[in-house]
Amino acid sequence: MNTDGNKAPELFREQKLVVINVGVRAFGEALEKQGADVMQVDWRPVAGGDKQMQDILSLLGGN
Amino acid sequence: MKLFVEVHPGDYRDSIQLLFASGAMSEMEGVQKASIAMGTGASKTMFRLMGMNDPAIEQAGPSDLVIAVIAADEEVFRKAVAKGFAEMDSIAPADDGKPVYATIQEAVAARPDARVCVLSIPGEFVKAEAVHALNQGLHVVIFSSHVSPEDELEIKLKAKEKGLLCMGPDCGVVNLNGTAFLLGSITRRGPFGLCGATGVGIQHVGALLQAAGSGVSQILGTGGGDLKLPVGGITMLMGIDALEADPETQSILLVSRKPADEVLQSILSRISQCRKPVVACLMGCERAMVESSGAVYAENLDDVAVQALRLIGKTLPLQSDEELRALAAEAAQGMSPKQKYVRGLFTGGTYCDEAMRALAPLIGDVHSNCPLKPELLLKDSLHSEFHTCLDCGEDEFTLGKPHPTMEPSIRKPFVLAEGRDEETAVLLLDFIFAVAGAVDPVGAVIDEIRDAMRTARLRGGRLAVVASVCGTDADFQNLDEQKRKLRDAGVYVCDTNYRAALLAGEIIRRRNGGENA
Repeated sequence: MNTDGNKAPELFREQKLVVINVGVRAFGEALEKQGADVMQVDWRPVAGGDKQMQDILSLLGGN
Repeated sequence: MKLFVEVHPGDYRDSIQLLFASGAMSEMEGVQKASIAMGTGASKTMFRLMGMNDPAIEQAGPSDLVIAVIAADEEVFRKAVAKGFAEMDSIAPADDGKPVYATIQEAVAARPDARVCVLSIPGEFVKAEAVHALNQGLHVVIFSSHVSPEDELEIKLKAKEKGLLCMGPDCGVVNLNGTAFLLGSITRRGPFGLCGATGVGIQHVGALLQAAGSGVSQILGTGGGDLKLPVGGITMLMGIDALEADPETQSILLVSRKPADEVLQSILSRISQCRKPVVACLMGCERAMVESSGAVYAENLDDVAVQALRLIGKTLPLQSDEELRALAAEAAQGMSPKQKYVRGLFTGGTYCDEAMRALAPLIGDVHSNCPLKPELLLKDSLHSEFHTCLDCGEDEFTLGKPHPTMEPSIRKPFVLAEGRDEETAVLLLDFIFAVAGAVDPVGAVIDEIRDAMRTARLRGGRLAVVASVCGTDADFQNLDEQKRKLRDAGVYVCDTNYRAALLAGEIIRRRNGGENA
């Protein structure tokens, strides 16, 4: 089985976990209590939550 | 009673704030139903299911806060709104001066060494954010539910292309490098790599390994949709690859409810090529089929830990059948002739299922809101019939409210109702710790348990309460203290949910004159 390109084994070797938490803050706080570094993203629906507009913006942003 | 609706445009709140506020409002006097949610598609469906139909709800957008209450009058509604906001503000984090980022890209720019992204946002927005995270080279853990199978497939194909893990959607338990995420338990590190599609299942196995003095290298939750079509096990297959390549992992343990047939074939084929020992519990799959792949067959969740520990020459000391029989003989004493039935109230769906499978051979049919056979479906989930096991985490109880793992007091009225029912002989309960969950899950219902036992005593009977606790001695909840609280109240605390169900069944068997059977 080809495991080339599977980056999870690299993740498993990380000495300190740095996590980006998008949404519920309690999940980030629980990680911090265990010693992880957490970057909180204060997520809100973009384009006022217009799904179609969000898809268009996403395409334009090339991300 | 009348429906009152109020919309606050642009007041975005996270799902935990919303769920707890909804729960607090629902319990107020004069309130029949209450919910606060963002105006997403899934929330609008929820409002409709709750019988709350109003044009203002339909017109609201995902950035708009919607408050809907079926209340006695306007004054009660006003009080409920105030209570809802007070509850949300009490959960909102204090400004601790740490930077907060507007987007994943900004956060990664600040910390390029970030490797994992956790998403807990409304399901319909998950795909866009997951793709952003994957494009930034992050493995993703998706707690959100209500992500369509098509979106899940697209995210997972993208993750696979980039060699990144996508755990979830609907993933509650993950442990990476010794750090527990979301609703998992804190577990010591050890030689076993776990990968599974049932959160409670993998948490349970990890906790048992720790209890036996061992531990886990990693716990990878796949989310319940992974082993179904169209996803086809992408995360589990990548998880097996990753654990096989990980030098800290000596054996791989796989746990799932029954996968789709096509998916089962690819999982078994992957196991047959694995260079490390594999223990597999794929519930409902034939032993011969699992063993044909070279995997060690595990009959149930307890057995996964037993078989795994056997690989390293350790045993798992669980209560023996003899011990359970002795406990059953004691517990069955003092009951009134009318006490006949087991009533199980579960916070974990997997535990509800496991208990019914353990009980059926001992006591026959068990009714449920998630029954093993369709004809055993409860007519009304609020009323037990004969032997009953209730999954309190089902949507019908948790729609717009926190899952009982986070808010265990949802079981209070059910415990009291079973105490009032003179036919209840055994009350069967599970308690599940979560790293971001309730700090005192036992304390949330212990008064009601005592009440129910007292009610039975006053009637001249005796209610047997049997429970298990899923958690580790490293969890914030204090495992010993939680078990002690149960024992002090006279509850029989079993080593595992399966053992608890066997004890409950054995008590009933004795009640039915089966002592010598």
